[in-house]
Amino acid sequence: MRTLITASFAIPALVLAFSAIGDPRPPTLYNSGDPTLTLTPGLRGATAAPKGTPAGNPDPHDLEGVWWLTGYEYLLGPEPGVPPPLKPQYLRILERRIRAKNRGTPEADASTQCLPHGMPRVMESPYPIEIVQTPGRITFLHEVAHNIRRIYLDQPHPRHVALSFLGNSVGHWEGDTLVVDTVGLNDRTFIDDEGSSHSTQEHVIERYRKIDNGASLELIMTVEDPVTLEHPYSYRRVFRWRPDVRPQEYVCEENNRNAPVNGVTVAK
Amino acid sequence: MSVASRYRHAVLSAVALTLAAAAHAAPDLTGVWQITGHMGAVKTTDGGAPPLTADAKAVYDAHRKAAAKGDYSFDGVTRCLPPGLPRLMLMHEPFEILQRDKIVYFVYQVNRLPRRAYLNEALPTDVDPHYLGYSVAHWDADTLVVESAGFDDSTLLDNAGLPHSEDMHLTERYQLSPDGKRLRLTYTVEDPKTFTKPWSAQAEYTHLTGYQIPEEVCAATPVAKRPRD
Repeated sequence: MRTLITASFAIPALVLAFSAIGDPRPPTLYNSGDPTLTLTPGLRGATAAPKGTPAGNPDPHDLEGVWWLTGYEYLLGPEPGVPPPLKPQYLRILERRIRAKNRGTPEADASTQCLPHGMPRVMESPYPIEIVQTPGRITFLHEVAHNIRRIYLDQPHPRHVALSFLGNSVGHWEGDTLVVDTVGLNDRTFIDDEGSSHSTQEHVIERYRKIDNGASLELIMTVEDPVTLEHPYSYRRVFRWRPDVRPQEYVCEENNRNAPVNGVTVAK
Repeated sequence: MSVASRYRHAVLSAVALTLAAAAHAAPDLTGVWQITGHMGAVKTTDGGAPPLTADAKAVYDAHRKAAAKGDYSFDGVTRCLPPGLPRLMLMHEPFEILQRDKIVYFVYQVNRLPRRAYLNEALPTDVDPHYLGYSVAHWDADTLVVESAGFDDSTLLDNAGLPHSEDMHLTERYQLSPDGKRLRLTYTVEDPKTFTKPWSAQAEYTHLTGYQIPEEVCAATPVAKRPRD
């Protein structure tokens, strides 16, 4: 990311060229026209492995390894810069949170208190995610805040699910697509970094599929919430396979001393 | 990928798998485990206390004195910091082993902490200190041997407050019982700054079947209810 920013300053013509062909919308809340609702711009950078890294494993059912999201969006709506289809009262809450952040007094969210990030936000992380596959299970080990998701395969959700930050996840394969279904989420987290609300009735469906011959992992994320959303919505993300990366110890409770720089997590 | 290289990849994978299978009929430790009994202060396999140096004994005695008054401020666990090792292996909360060909993962219920042991690699000689150190592993016949170094010296070695230095070198040897229901750990601590000689101790774990590790979040847990042994 640092390289990208430096390059952008060094070559303004390139920035203009990107502006011309890129997203024409300014990074403000879609259709608001209100400068106090300026969004934090998303990070648009590839997190491709360095040259010489082995190519991805093409086996569509082997998702094991370290994956890194390409880019980072602060608002997780159906497309970049667009909020989730929140009901009017929840859209007003989102606007309140964006204004508070723009004034420099953001409302504390779960992650600032070393609590897990919630869904779908935990999947929108600028840190790597390691997938481990064992019989009947797929496990996501997130570097960020050592979040962990256990996905139990080919079984229903328990009849009674205790609410938790990352919910109860079950999964199954539909051809070459891993489908993960998550319920039982508490309402102490936000959908996204900007602060879109969800309720305990939130229901998240993820569809993972290897693309680029195994070098990338596509995620179609679908979010349903009859309390806060007008209707379900989906968005697409792509993760890159990063066999060169080893997830590092992340200790939120001591104000994490490690951070990703140019695609590798290093001690600060 | 071309058809030829795809084929080559498949053949190589098959050969690698066959070699791996032949090289070790390693037992599968994958599953949820919980320590048997309650571990307070560790006892060495000789039945005694770990042989502390005079300086380290003064630190340990201060911890015990504070704990007797109910003051656990010396213990980072009360502030949700990782417990360190081998202590994390001696706590009551269950943990899970996910055993793969290149990495053995230990994932603890305690604050959802993960630990990775990279198989068949040498332990780096200069490791930045981390709460859970840096671990490599290999199979010695049917025993999983995990070697760790690079420990932050703010953690405690056991639930009673035993200290260690950044120079601690930990060797863990895991053996599965023939019926697969129990896991035996024998560990050896070498730390000349803290102990007058290396020492070993043991712990045993029971396999928990049908147990799904719940999400345990230290920061969401009142201080008095945070697990510390």
